[in-house]
Amino acid sequence: MKISVREAGETRIVEVEGDVDLGTSPDLRRTLFQTLTEAPRLALNLAAIRYIDSSGIATLIEVLKDSQRRNKRFVLFGLSPAVRQVFHLTHVMRIFEVFQTEEEAVASA
Amino acid sequence: MIAPATTFVHLKLVMPSDPRYLPAVRGAIAPLAAAMGWDEAECRAIALALDEAIANVIRHAYHNRTDGRIELDCCQNVEGLEITMLDQGEAPDKSKICARAIDCEQVGGLGTHIIKDVMDTVSYQATPAGNRFVATKRLKRTT
Repeated sequence: MKISVREAGETRIVEVEGDVDLGTSPDLRRTLFQTLTEAPRLALNLAAIRYIDSSGIATLIEVLKDSQRRNKRFVLFGLSPAVRQVFHLTHVMRIFEVFQTEEEAVASA
Repeated sequence: MIAPATTFVHLKLVMPSDPRYLPAVRGAIAPLAAAMGWDEAECRAIALALDEAIANVIRHAYHNRTDGRIELDCCQNVEGLEITMLDQGEAPDKSKICARAIDCEQVGGLGTHIIKDVMDTVSYQATPAGNRFVATKRLKRTT
C-alpha cells in the first residue's frame, strides 16, 4: 500500500494505492490522524484502492468520529466498485460524505 | 448406469498468523470462486469473508502473534463452496462472536457481520485439534 499527502488550498488530499487490510490499515490510520491534526479539511481519495476490509472501514470511522470531535471535515471521493461494495456490505455509506471527484470533494469542504 | 466420476477442487493452504499473507490467500480464493461460477462481485465478497475470518483468528485467537498456525481447506462440492479453518489459538468466546448492529457507528464486529452476510452458513466449534470455523456458500445456478 502506498500513501501520499498533498495540499489543495485548505484541504489536505490523502491518496492511497493498493490493498487496505489488517496488515496495512495501521499505516493508513497513522497518516490520516496525523494529517487531520495539520489541516481543517481532509479528503481521502479511494480511487486507487483495490481492496479494503473491515479494519480499513473501522479506521475510516475512527477518523470520521475524531474529525467531528475536532470540528473538522473528513470526506471521501473516488470510490471504486470494489470499495463501494464493502461500504454497502458494512452499511456505512450513509455516515460518510462521499463525492465522485476531487473537485467536488474540495468544493464541498 | 454409473454416473461419471466428478472431481471437485480442494484447495489446502497452511499459513502463519501473519497479516502479510492475507493478499496471497485472497489471490487464491477469488480466482477459484470465479472458476466455480460466481461473478466478479461475489468472488470479491467471498475473498473478503475469508480475509475477515483469518483476520479474526489473528487478532482474537493469536492476539496478533505472527507465529501461530492457520490451516485452510476450501472445498468445492455439489452445493458450492465449503471453507474450513483450523487454528490452535485461544478458543473464541461464543458470547462475544456477534455481528455489529447495523446503523450504528461502532467499529467492532464489522468483520463478523461481513462473514455472516456473505456466506450462507457459518459455525464455530472448539475441537481437540483446535478452533474450527466452517462457512459454506451455495452456488445459485441459473440453468
